Amino acid sequence: MAISSMTSTVYVSVIEDVINKVRDEFVNNGGPGESVLNELQGIWEMKMMQAGVVTGPIERSTAPKQTSGAPAPTPPVHDLNVPYEGTEEYETPTAEILFPPTPLQTPIQTPLPGMGDNSMYNIPTGPTEYPAAQDGGGATDMKSGRPPSYMPPPSPWMQQRPPLSVDVNVAYVEGRDEGDRGNPQQPLTQDFFMMSSGKRKREDFPSQYHTSGYIPQQDGAGDPAPEVFEVEVSQGSNSIKGHDILTKVNREIFPQVTGSYVRIPQLDGPIPDPYDDVLSTPNIYNYQGVVNEDYNIVNTPAPNDIQAGTPAVGIQNDVGDDDDDEPPLNENDDDELDDVDQGEELNTQHLVLAQFDKVTRTKSKWKCTLKDGIMHINNKDILFNKATGEFEF
Amino acid sequence: MATFELYRRSTIGMCLTETLDEMVQNGTLSPELAIQVLVQFDKSMTEALESQVKSKVTIKGHLHTYRFCDNVWTFILQDAVFKNEECQENVGRVKIVACDSKLLTQ
Repeated sequence: MAISSMTSTVYVSVIEDVINKVRDEFVNNGGPGESVLNELQGIWEMKMMQAGVVTGPIERSTAPKQTSGAPAPTPPVHDLNVPYEGTEEYETPTAEILFPPTPLQTPIQTPLPGMGDNSMYNIPTGPTEYPAAQDGGGATDMKSGRPPSYMPPPSPWMQQRPPLSVDVNVAYVEGRDEGDRGNPQQPLTQDFFMMSSGKRKREDFPSQYHTSGYIPQQDGAGDPAPEVFEVEVSQGSNSIKGHDILTKVNREIFPQVTGSYVRIPQLDGPIPDPYDDVLSTPNIYNYQGVVNEDYNIVNTPAPNDIQAGTPAVGIQNDVGDDDDDEPPLNENDDDELDDVDQGEELNTQHLVLAQFDKVTRTKSKWKCTLKDGIMHINNKDILFNKATGEFEF
Repeated sequence: MATFELYRRSTIGMCLTETLDEMVQNGTLSPELAIQVLVQFDKSMTEALESQVKSKVTIKGHLHTYRFCDNVWTFILQDAVFKNEECQENVGRVKIVACDSKLLTQ
């Protein structure tokens, strides 16, 4: 008991410390305010109690004293008191569940804190932009080439497109500005690729794209479009706006490319409603699969880029997603392989997180000295200042 | 001050991460602020372990896997025994992840 209470005490003090030290950020500089901070603390403490690593009584006695000014800590306490018995039951599953989903598999030094987290947080917004963008091309296609029933209101969402996300807006602005100069889409494409450029080489593809006219089907209207489109741009560069371009291009393209155009709707088809797509990754992935094939054979992205700024976004997203998926896969694979625990003992993952002072080996005898560790063993959290390990390999 | 993100994988860190995730998805918290909170947690947790924890533990077991990569030692022990002043815990399989303590003092 002494140990668990000790752990609980330390955890409570850490919560208090964190809350107190980020208070300025919440209250000042246009932060969300004290109430949000209190909510954060309340949820955090509640999760801790559900995990069974913070005991209710201690939480009560400690929290009110230290955060006398903050009313928030109180509500969670109420919740905890009643179901406390139940909490013990939940304790096991919760604690176990906590560890597998850990976002940060490999400990990293803090100097690079934003990396992983940013990607996590950005994920929701990223996909949002893409489907809309892709649909932009697809919707127009449907409009002219297919029964409009699939895409009930193409125009409405197109109008809504600009407000979607900050990054996209910026990109669009740039694209339009450059478009006014007479060279609309290319710069835009470059901008987008810059963001994910380090990860993949797809940027290279657009340049090659012109040489090969293969695989128009998957791009949809894109492949046939470029040539026509370029002409169109040069002629009507003055009125370059995404929507105008799309419509003009479509009008010119579709009559000419009717045959191939018929195929296009199918591929775009899975994405009837842009906003639904935003939420559903499956569509995106399917689309990626198609795109991948395109890359292997020929470079599809270029047509979209040329045709309109919007398709370019979609492509870039695909690229980003693929990139994100694949490089991380290395780490993920490692973790899965490493975590034999997960495979063999899903129920209990025992984990020790610490710092090492020294690790030595003599033949098959390993010795290590650890410090400042958190152990999660047998569903208990145990902290230590120092630990010595003697292992036999 | 350098800190480790190591402790975010602990129970308390995971609870915080989940909380922040929820609040960011709700829109009540900005991602930037959530990251600031995590960084503060890294610091606070490290300080608390240094200043408040005095207990000592001995670990013995069969070393199934060892790896040293990016200044992080990872051990997977089988049939490990953890002892401290008060109790002893036996674990069939445990993973130890340890960062280089010298990196914090630099």
